[in-house]
Amino acid sequence: MKQVFSPLKIILSLLLFLFIGIPFIALLLSSVATGWQWPVLFPESYSFRAWEYVLFGSSRTWQSIGTSLLIAVIVTVINVLLAVPAANALVRFQFKGKWFAEAILFAPIIIPPFVAVMGIHLTFLRLGLTETILGVVLAHLSPTLPYMVRAVMISYNTLSVDWENQARMLGAGPFLRFYYVVLPHLLPGIAAGASLSILISLSQYLITFIIGSGQVVTLPILLFPFISGGDPAVASAYSLLFAGMAILALLAMDAVLKKYYQTKNPSVLKVKGVKR
Amino acid sequence: MKIKTLTAPVLLAFMLAACSAQSDKDAAQGAGELLASDWQEITDTAKGQEVNMYMWGGNDNINRYLDEWVAPRLKELHDIELTRVPVSDAQDFISQLLDEKSAGKTAGSMDIIWINGENFKAAKDNGLLFGDFAGQLPNFNEYIDQDAPEISHDFGEPVEGLEAPWGKAQFVLVRDENKVENPPGSMDELAEWVHENPGQFTYPALPDFTGSAFIRHVLYETTGGYEQYEQPAAEIDDLESRLEPMWDYLNDIEPYLWREGETYPESLSKLDQLYASGEVAMTMSYDPALAASEVLQGRFPESTRTFLLDAGTLANTHFLSIPFNSSDKAGAMVAINEMLSPEAQTAKLSPENWGDLSALDLEKLSPEQQQAMNEVDLGGATLPLEELESNRLPELSSDYIEIIEKGWMENVAKE
Repeated sequence: MKQVFSPLKIILSLLLFLFIGIPFIALLLSSVATGWQWPVLFPESYSFRAWEYVLFGSSRTWQSIGTSLLIAVIVTVINVLLAVPAANALVRFQFKGKWFAEAILFAPIIIPPFVAVMGIHLTFLRLGLTETILGVVLAHLSPTLPYMVRAVMISYNTLSVDWENQARMLGAGPFLRFYYVVLPHLLPGIAAGASLSILISLSQYLITFIIGSGQVVTLPILLFPFISGGDPAVASAYSLLFAGMAILALLAMDAVLKKYYQTKNPSVLKVKGVKR
Repeated sequence: MKIKTLTAPVLLAFMLAACSAQSDKDAAQGAGELLASDWQEITDTAKGQEVNMYMWGGNDNINRYLDEWVAPRLKELHDIELTRVPVSDAQDFISQLLDEKSAGKTAGSMDIIWINGENFKAAKDNGLLFGDFAGQLPNFNEYIDQDAPEISHDFGEPVEGLEAPWGKAQFVLVRDENKVENPPGSMDELAEWVHENPGQFTYPALPDFTGSAFIRHVLYETTGGYEQYEQPAAEIDDLESRLEPMWDYLNDIEPYLWREGETYPESLSKLDQLYASGEVAMTMSYDPALAASEVLQGRFPESTRTFLLDAGTLANTHFLSIPFNSSDKAGAMVAINEMLSPEAQTAKLSPENWGDLSALDLEKLSPEQQQAMNEVDLGGATLPLEELESNRLPELSSDYIEIIEKGWMENVAKE
């Protein structure tokens, strides 16, 4: 492949860099700035007060990152387990009240989470699920599941039943059919849904605060008081940390997927070899 | 099939509710005893308890004072584990307590909450607080002037021992010494100064908290003192005509304000920005030590000074309270008592830690304790403690504040 450096391409990548890069530069500067007055473009003096507080103080930052990631991963695994059969049913079967089932599944995207979470809180209180990670995980399912179902449904739409029928004729049972035929086809959709699910779960404040009642401390729980309270330095430091955590989580997921594809390919070859 | 899936969780809920009703009785018994038993017994019960303190968490100085000064001290002196839970708005945990109350949750995780004003009123009206515990605290009895209006009332609401004062805030006006040589001592003098120096003064648009406090000073001075507003707003029939002089005053100065009063800064931080960049000569604050720390950070000019009005300025108190369903009430009481100790209050006063005014009565402290408190360096822009303390006015109850904020929109902003 020949690399072409057209002027358009250069301008586009420059714009992309400006859109993504500049906010980060501003965040980085405001996290170390002291006395940054309006007409001055760059701060006049610097201090690492905010970073010291965030990283080394008594602020429980590392613990909260661990809790955030744990919740996001569990939420995403549950989402996959729920979304695959749901998408299968919604795409492949015609049944009465299907539009209603779909409406309920996608409602959390449209209805503000605050409305739902107040009711969930009362119910969870009676069930003793508040202040637990399990409760927070269950509550995070409502804003994340719709995206996962949507993504997997799109994958199912392009998967003809003929493939599975062919596998069935060759003697594959339901598990083998799913594992060798359906799952590889769904994987891109699952990956897209999982990225959204992880990101949305990581950024929940209100739901985590209300259901966790302050006893489940994720990174947004520490971050939000500083954003609303107007300490731009600490808020910026936390925001950068949050962005770093989200990017790392996505990269890790990407790495796992790549590994899966790598181990997958030889097995396919082996099957071909046996045939021959 | 559908009915079956529904019955399972409902059954589970009933079972759990039955279990919690049992522990309900135990907790109620313990709580009654705590309010009657003597302090020694309470400190014995408190040993080894874990106390969760729910409080606004948006300032690293305050957080550090709790985590690095108060918590280790509680561990060392009383074997109490204090965990600070950061919250972005006190309203959040009040609504959570409301839910817990209606769901009948008795073993709650909140042991201490930091509240005042509207949130206290909401908590009190809905029965979300533990009870009259303040009178049990030795430091409350020894060092606090319980008859002072800012201790016995919280924004016009009688406190009745449901919360213990932790610190105080007082309204101050902030000026640049080089631009305002003689600070105006009354609202009339301020109006005069504004007329002579057009464009140099403004206040944050309501409902900004500090802008609203500024207007309350205008109310007190133009309508003849605060005493008349101690009764509920609904009981004053001619309230509208009584507020008339206040609107007249504000409309009179409006053409001489920043940008000829066509617009107001939308928040205190915008006004502070205008002051920091030299566009206006005055700003204001409900925290008397804040200007000093802005000078320290290099944001405000060195020539910044704070001043009071001759008739005094509004002061309010912020309080610590215990929710009705706290699981470690004894620990919470011991922790609150410790936070009211002269040592903890002196440390809190220091701008290095926090810079928050003490809730204690200076005159009730021993000479050494007084000296320690007076020696705290508050910074050049802050007024001496005695001067602040002797010029306090009580806050207005929240029903008035609502009426004034609406009235300002109609009578001042619209015209």
